[in-house]
Amino acid sequence: MRIACVFVPQLALQAVLRRTPEARGGPVAVLEAGTNKAKRVARVTEISPEARRAGVRAGMTGAQAAAVSAGLRLLTVTAADREAASAALADVGYAFAAAIERGDADRIFFDSEDLARLYPAGETAIAQAVQAVAARVGLGVRVAIAASKGVARLATRAHELALIPTAAGPARAALASIPVELLAEGEPDLAAAFRRWGLRAAGDVAALPIDAVGLRLGLAGARAGRLARGIDDEPFVPRLPDDALEEAIELDYPVAELEPFSFVLRGLIDRALTRLRERSLACAGLTVRLELDPRGVDVRAVPIAAPTGDAATLLQLARLDLARRPPAAPIVGVRLLALPARVRATQLDILRPAGPAPDRLAATIARLAALVGPDNVGAPTVEDTWREEGVAVTPFEPARPDDGPLSLTLSPLRGARANGGGDPRAANETDEPRLTIRRRRPPEEIEVLLNRQGPVAFRGRETTARVLIAAGPYRLSGEWWREGEHFSREYWDVHASDGAVYRVHQNKRDGRWYLDGYYD
Amino acid sequence: MSSRPALDPALLSHLISAQRLEDRRGRRGSGIASLDRLLGGGWPRASLCELIGRRSSGRTAILYAALARAIAAGEAAALVDVGGGLDPRRAFAAGIALRRLLWVRCAADVAAKAADLVLGAGGFDLIALDLGDERPRLPAAGWIRFKHGAEKQGTTVLVAAPARAAGSCAAAVVQLGPGAPRFVADGAPLFDGLQAEATKGRGAHEHGPESEEARCASLAFSCRS
Repeated sequence: MRIACVFVPQLALQAVLRRTPEARGGPVAVLEAGTNKAKRVARVTEISPEARRAGVRAGMTGAQAAAVSAGLRLLTVTAADREAASAALADVGYAFAAAIERGDADRIFFDSEDLARLYPAGETAIAQAVQAVAARVGLGVRVAIAASKGVARLATRAHELALIPTAAGPARAALASIPVELLAEGEPDLAAAFRRWGLRAAGDVAALPIDAVGLRLGLAGARAGRLARGIDDEPFVPRLPDDALEEAIELDYPVAELEPFSFVLRGLIDRALTRLRERSLACAGLTVRLELDPRGVDVRAVPIAAPTGDAATLLQLARLDLARRPPAAPIVGVRLLALPARVRATQLDILRPAGPAPDRLAATIARLAALVGPDNVGAPTVEDTWREEGVAVTPFEPARPDDGPLSLTLSPLRGARANGGGDPRAANETDEPRLTIRRRRPPEEIEVLLNRQGPVAFRGRETTARVLIAAGPYRLSGEWWREGEHFSREYWDVHASDGAVYRVHQNKRDGRWYLDGYYD
Repeated sequence: MSSRPALDPALLSHLISAQRLEDRRGRRGSGIASLDRLLGGGWPRASLCELIGRRSSGRTAILYAALARAIAAGEAAALVDVGGGLDPRRAFAAGIALRRLLWVRCAADVAAKAADLVLGAGGFDLIALDLGDERPRLPAAGWIRFKHGAEKQGTTVLVAAPARAAGSCAAAVVQLGPGAPRFVADGAPLFDGLQAEATKGRGAHEHGPESEEARCASLAFSCRS
């Protein structure tokens, strides 16, 4: 097995730079307050190379750092920033492997052996591809590929890109130059002991018998000795990705207006979609969790008609939702949960038209839903009701190449249950096409003048006309088995003096008249 | 009178008339034999077309016949429906496979934008924009955009409205006269259908004289299910 370790040096700095990309390339320092009461003064913890060149050092106070470098940007890192950066790192791993192991917040491992088929140029190409994907999600990473987790981890401490051979001898040689401080990282006593013994690099430690080192320095010493020889038996425990993908931000000050908040939201959506794109996924659902000032949480699910990777569409949908139901208080933090989904791929057929591309169609449906509302886009279908005006919307499915001959699905009760396909014979050329009714939804209430034969005139919001011919009544009733849904109607087809043929009905329960539409 | 300079024969061989260009794109069946005869084979592909008619002129029936024909041929079709007047039972009876129809019900002010989004998605062979009783209020630039979009995407954009608006952007125009309803008067009257006169209007690609008979057709619509 070959294990790739991906490490993010200076995670806090990179996390704040993902949030404030405009600060990249300039002198930046991360300011963090200590947890200890005596050390509560915020101090610089991580610095960019530009800030280091300007003379800023870790441990300085904000004032000291600002005095050293005039253009220095002092940024504070939040837990949300760290979580988002760590989750983005995990997505880099999921772009290459179905399952990964998340070590610490700044490190992941995945099995890279199978990738050799995708990258015949070798492991260098794999490592470079990982770095390129990480750069796209805003992270600069170190990558090492080795036969075990511990060896790969050790290599990332020392090198930007390292390939450690599997065989023990060459692996030992590849690790030989790594300083003992990195070999014993996190255990300063062990590193100091190695120094006292006159050992400078991992090669020096590897030259000592492991049993003897273990006897004198304990388990940690023995483990360091084995690592220096390229031997490690730490198990690799991969796991599948989470169901949802998270991006979060804590704001410096409360935001009450939708317009400035949109900028914040856009950044989050962009970052989430970039991560999804790297896994060849789209967003099928969006949940926005708003933290309110001074307390309280507002959670809202933004409906998405079809999986999409279009940031503008998602932003528009989220904005519409926020405009419709504004939060009760100013916002101080946002957490975005994006539900990943695969965009359906299709195999084209030489004998059928290509039709719309699935990803573009999904984006278009989502944009249409944002424009006219999600309930108004899709494929029409007959609602399960006896009422004439019933209509429902189901997800639209363009014709697929594997569609067989379309079949007619008829219900003996309702005449036409149009949930299935249509009859191609019905679509052949005809000399007498069928009339349809262009419906008013909901039916418009009208005033009707009657005589013994039926309606003689009617007046509605837009139409006032005499009735020249009235055909009817056609009685329709039903749904008496549903509480409060019972209806009883008498329908009439009336040729009106404006030339049109209207469909009207009287509700027999209350005597009111309604205009259903006109034949066209 | 100054004579027009003759075109370079090499250049002339590359020129193509608008009529020939449209013939090259082809026509799509309207689903109604008499209308196909009137239009010379059907609605032109990759073009903006107009269908004009008042209430009960058979306009919606013609629109649904075209949609049914396109879907039955395996093509992608969309209906942008101002006011959401679609009756799914009758649309199904007209031969439309509803599951394969992208239906967008919207208000008049966003109908053009919705149709433009569908057109921009590409891959749709027929987009029907049914404006219902609303008069089109799109500026000329909007119709030009539709025309170019239709040509680029290879889509027929069929606009059904009570009055003409696209002007020279429309490649084909069919104007429907007021429908004459038919009632079966055997005892109580029963609405049976209607008869309407269809007149081919001047489209952008139609030139040359045509007899009055060739420009008109009588269409019969049935109400029986």
